[in-house]
Amino acid sequence: MSATLEVHGLAAGYDQSIVVRDLDLVVEAGSTVVVIGPNGHGKTTLLRAISGLIKPARGEVLLDGERIDGRPAERISAMGVVHVMQGDGLFADMTVEENLLMGAFHGASWRHRGTALKRVYHELPVVEEKRAQKARTLSGGERRLVGLGRGMMRPARLLLIDEPSLGLAPVAIEAVYAVIRRLHDESEAAIILIEENFTHIEGVADLVHILEAGSLVRSGSYAELSQDRTVVETYLGSIAEPGA
Amino acid sequence: MTEIVAIIANAVVYGSIYGLVAIGMTLIYGTLRILDMSQGSMVMVGGYVGWWAMATHGINPALALVLAFVFTFGLGTVTELVSVQPLIGRQKSVDFEMVTFITTFAVAIFLTNVALQHFGPFQQNVPSIVGGNLELYNRVSISYHELTMAGISVVLMSGLGLFLARTRWGLAIRAVAQDLDAARSLAVPVTRLYPLTMGLASALAGVGGVFLGALYFASPTAGDLPLLQALIVVVLGGLGSLSGTLYAAYLVGLMQAFCEVEFGTTWTLPILYTAILVILIVRPNGLKGSPSEARL
Repeated sequence: MSATLEVHGLAAGYDQSIVVRDLDLVVEAGSTVVVIGPNGHGKTTLLRAISGLIKPARGEVLLDGERIDGRPAERISAMGVVHVMQGDGLFADMTVEENLLMGAFHGASWRHRGTALKRVYHELPVVEEKRAQKARTLSGGERRLVGLGRGMMRPARLLLIDEPSLGLAPVAIEAVYAVIRRLHDESEAAIILIEENFTHIEGVADLVHILEAGSLVRSGSYAELSQDRTVVETYLGSIAEPGA
Repeated sequence: MTEIVAIIANAVVYGSIYGLVAIGMTLIYGTLRILDMSQGSMVMVGGYVGWWAMATHGINPALALVLAFVFTFGLGTVTELVSVQPLIGRQKSVDFEMVTFITTFAVAIFLTNVALQHFGPFQQNVPSIVGGNLELYNRVSISYHELTMAGISVVLMSGLGLFLARTRWGLAIRAVAQDLDAARSLAVPVTRLYPLTMGLASALAGVGGVFLGALYFASPTAGDLPLLQALIVVVLGGLGSLSGTLYAAYLVGLMQAFCEVEFGTTWTLPILYTAILVILIVRPNGLKGSPSEARL
């Protein structure tokens, strides 16, 4: 297998404060990598640095072997990097369907937007029911599904999903993860999924990394890491909680 | 009854042209967060294009309107590239809204002086688009020129609405207005979208300029009053709100027409501005504005 994404010695942050430091990450083609870590340790910054929404301070980001760091977000996106942002990134005063159509904005995808729309509606009937509603009138779970649906509107080489369970009720998380599991099984894209803990990622992750203080401190399979008492107790107390 | 017909007819005419000139400012503010002070100059330039085409070259009015649209579209695009584009991405180190307010104002001053240099401080007569008057009711009449102006304004504003609602680039403009990062992460090339937006807004003002040129004159300062009026309409409607701008345009048009018929032109502006002042005291964010939200 070849690597879709390689990150070498990445440092990134905002203004003067560096949040991600000296981070290395490889994502093999077609695989799903989950990055787990506490809040404020650089998970979102990592994704934003990869997708170009912030410019890395140091280091290299390679997409299928080609340097992309330092390029503007719209160029990186055009190369097939789809970023499902934290807090949805929906256009609040546009309808659900308009939001989805924007997912197909780039190049040839626009010509196939009708087919893509049908596919997304077929996969996510809930979203189709809301197609004419403004995004701001949706519930948190619905918004998340629309965000994922928008990410499915064009073919991706690399799919970045930022904390899809954040702030959602358990039922809504279930619906969101059903979609992510399908993406993991069916999509040809490499996926980086970000979460705060292990609770929902069983069966989704091919490889799990733990991000702490801006660097990856542990890596392994879900089975390895979730059985490791040190890991669980140090970073991720929530796994032992029943029903969490 | 006669008075009512006169008021309504004038309100529609004023409101339409205010809307046409102001809607571009709203579009630009909503998308780029810029109060575009060059918008009045586009009216002025549109007037000169109309004069040049119709009065000096005998080009037919429809084509003159198209020429004004195309020329001011290009000029708006260039204005963006010169006065705004170099500042994008430096929002952290410069006060973007304030600096672009000044840079677009600089473009306006530049254009006024180019006109002054080139055409002199004279008023040029711009021919009407169509001649003649239509009697509406009991000696109340409206010129076909004004009627065409109102009609084309409405058509252009509806066209803008359809463009924003239905087309790929129209959706992209609204997307950028609502969430810049999300739009960029969907591959929307903002460096091409911003010139397009300012070009469109300028083109609408330019077409308005041809009509206004015939009502007044083409002159280097012909854009000053429309700019002031557009600013009032835009602020009254709520910065960045397209529907608010339309309401405000027709409301201002109605108030102006009412005052002119009932109290005469001397009292029109004092009463109009007092009314606007009162409205803004009651609703500081304008008719449809909310403090700092994207609204396109």
